Parts: sequence; structure tokens; C-alpha cells
Amino acid sequence: MKSSWARMLCRLLMALMIWSPMQLAQAGMIGTDQLVTAPSAADRTTVLEFLGRADVANQLQSLGLDAKNANERVAAMTDAEVQMLAGKINSMPAGADSTGVIILLLLVGAAVWWIWFRR
Amino acid sequence: MVDLVPPLAIRSALKNARFTAGVFIFATLAALSGCASFMPQTKELGKALPAGLPEEIELTATPFFPQLEYQCGPAALATVLAAGGVKVTADELVPQVYLPERKGSLQVEMLAAARRHGMVSYQLAPRFEDLLREIADGTPVVVLQNLGMFSSGWHYAVAIGYNYERGTLVLRSGTQERDVLPFGVHEIVWMRGGYWAMVAVPPDKIPATADENRWLAAVAALERAGDARSARTAYTTFLGRWPANVNASIGLANAHHTLGDLGEAEAVLRKAATSAPDSVVVLNNLAQTLSDLGRDQEALPFAERAVAAGGPFTAAAQKTRDSIAERLRSKTGGVERLK
Repeated sequence: MKSSWARMLCRLLMALMIWSPMQLAQAGMIGTDQLVTAPSAADRTTVLEFLGRADVANQLQSLGLDAKNANERVAAMTDAEVQMLAGKINSMPAGADSTGVIILLLLVGAAVWWIWFRR
Repeated sequence: MVDLVPPLAIRSALKNARFTAGVFIFATLAALSGCASFMPQTKELGKALPAGLPEEIELTATPFFPQLEYQCGPAALATVLAAGGVKVTADELVPQVYLPERKGSLQVEMLAAARRHGMVSYQLAPRFEDLLREIADGTPVVVLQNLGMFSSGWHYAVAIGYNYERGTLVLRSGTQERDVLPFGVHEIVWMRGGYWAMVAVPPDKIPATADENRWLAAVAALERAGDARSARTAYTTFLGRWPANVNASIGLANAHHTLGDLGEAEAVLRKAATSAPDSVVVLNNLAQTLSDLGRDQEALPFAERAVAAGGPFTAAAQKTRDSIAERLRSKTGGVERLK
């Protein structure tokens, strides 16, 4: 119970941390990113979106990044991208492997390709 | 050291056994399904070369960053960024895209990290033809492949050329500077990642296959990431191609505003206000810009019009109007006190 409250508090603080400089920069001006996303997204409460950012930053931290790095990475994402990642980082593809495997696959694929393309 | 050898040998034997099984299953499936569903786009491409594409091209000047273990993400991204003129190495990109616990890089982060270097990143439509068009236009393309037999095996490579007659694609991939793959093989491994492909171009360029709205969103994403200077260039380039796009004008004005060029912002917004006189955002941002220039008297009517126009941004418009009205009141109050 206590830890879940602590986590919530952490998220809120992170959200505020990420939020405050933006608020200062954008005072009074309606941002372009709000325009180009779907109209329904513009209605969504800002606090929820920034909680989403804090959430993703938290997840990135749990995957081996320090807090500063995680925040900088999240800052480069759009709201839509943050929504895409929130809660789903572990199930998403992460490009990593080298090409050793391709050789055998190439043999199979080449045979198939031969049928369609070289005929 | 010696007792390390057997486990490794067993592991690689197991891996090979699993792999052979995978190849077998794959080949059987391919035979059963008659192959067509395995490479629908290759089949389509095989009919004829799409109009306007050269028979053969290779962007040989594209730099090559051989990847270290698991780090194809940074290597692939460095390749396209450097090709676009950014001075960066794969090592420098590791802290920006690599996730240690996942031993890889996420697609979203590949797109996001490019913005941190002032480039506009754009996810291509999932079409083989578009991939070829970008290469033909001189832009190397990052593709996500799945080289594993089962679920893992995600890999980023950079497509830099093709030969239509031979039906082959040339890629910078992993430790291979020039990996040549038949279209069909590439499609099979590419399809598994939903035909995911991205380009990252300098802000004064528009990709060959860019769609107006999605390209604008890509530029807005760069602006949001905090690079107003590059965003300004990108909006200007955008308006050169699509001059009637009001949202791009708003974006350009916002970039000017962020950079402190309030006069430029005003000029762009005034022009936009004549072509879109009911746009809440144009009116609101023009009012705010005039107010920031110290011209609250002039700003107030625009703020009033923004509120009257209604729509999803009404709350923001009301806030702008109230703060302008408040500034006017305190100014006149001050003047009266001086009398």
C-alpha cells in the first residue's frame, strides 16, 4: 500500500518536473502538436498525458537508464508515441540481433523468390 | 576458460537444432500456402517497375557503422543521420536509443532520437514501393527486420540501394557493409515487423513519399522535442510545397515565437488570419503574440474573436483573453494612479 502511494507520488513529481518548463515556454500560445494530433486527443486532460510521460520515463528507468537520460528520451517523443509505449514497452520489438541467422533463411527465401521473381 | 567451452558448444548445437527445425517448418508452410501470401508485395513489384523509378541505384556514399553486439539500433540510426549530414557516431547514439535490459532499441525511440539531432523523422507507409522511392530519391531507409525463427530476432538495417532486374536490395546491416538480399527474402523478414521503415532527413528536405498531414505531424514532433530552429526551417520548407496549410503557418509562427522573433510570428499569423479568419488557434496565438509585443489594446479584439469562434480550444482562448484584459486593466490603473 505504502509503496504504491510512494510510486504515485513519484510519478506526480516527475510529471510536474517535466511539465513545468513546458508551461513556461508555451504560456498563452496553443502548440502545434495539439493541432496535428487527432481532435479528440486535444481534449484529453494535460495532466493525464504528463502522467503518461512519467510512466514511460519510469519504465525506461527500470530497463536500465538513469533518471536524467530517461526524461531526455521521453522529452523527444510526441504524445501519441508516449501513449503507444505506456505500459507496453516490454511487449514491443527491440531491434538487436546481428545478421548471423540470415544465411540459412536466405537459402529458403531465395528458393521462394526464384519462383515468383525470376520466372 | 576450458570449462566454458562445453556449455557454449551445447548452446550453439541447440540453437542450430532449433534453427533447422524452424527452417523446416518455414519451408513446409511456404510450400503449403503456395508462397503468395508470404511475399505479396514482391509479387506485385515483380509485375512491373513502378513508374518513375530507376532500374538500379545504390547510395554508395552512405557511411557504414559496423554494429557492436545488440547495437544495431544506434548503428542504423547513425548511418542515416550521418548520411543526412549530422556529425554523429553509433557510440554517441547508444545512450539515446539503446535499452540495456531489453538489449535493443525501440522503434519509437529511433524516431525520437533523430529529432534530438535536428532531423525530421518520418515513418514510411508500409509499402515496398515507397521504400524503393525513398532510396531512388537519395534517402537511405531504416527497416526493422525479424531474422529470428520464432519471436525474437528483431534487427535494424539500412536499405541503401536496389537492382530491379535482379530483384535485390542492398543494405548496411550489422557487421556487413553491403548485404544483398533478394526482394522476397527482405519482404519475409520485414513483413514480420509490420513493414516498419523510417527515414530521417534534414529540415530543408521533404521525403519523396511524404504525405501532407503525416509530414506536418513529423515536423510538429521536431518542434515539440525542443528544436525550434530546425522546426522553423522545416515549416518554411513545408509551406513552400503546401502553401495553403494553415496548421503549418501556425507551426512556423510558434517556432518564430519560441525563438523570440515576435515580429516574424505576427506577420505569419496575420497572413494566416486572412485565409482562415475563424481559426481559434490563429486568432488566439496572434492575440498572445501582440500582447507579448506590448500591444494589448490591439490584441484584445483578436482574443475576443478567438473566444467567439468556439471549438475545442475555447478554454485556452478564454484564458488568453482574460490575461490580456487583466494586463490592460492594470496598465490603465497604473496610468490613472500617476495622474
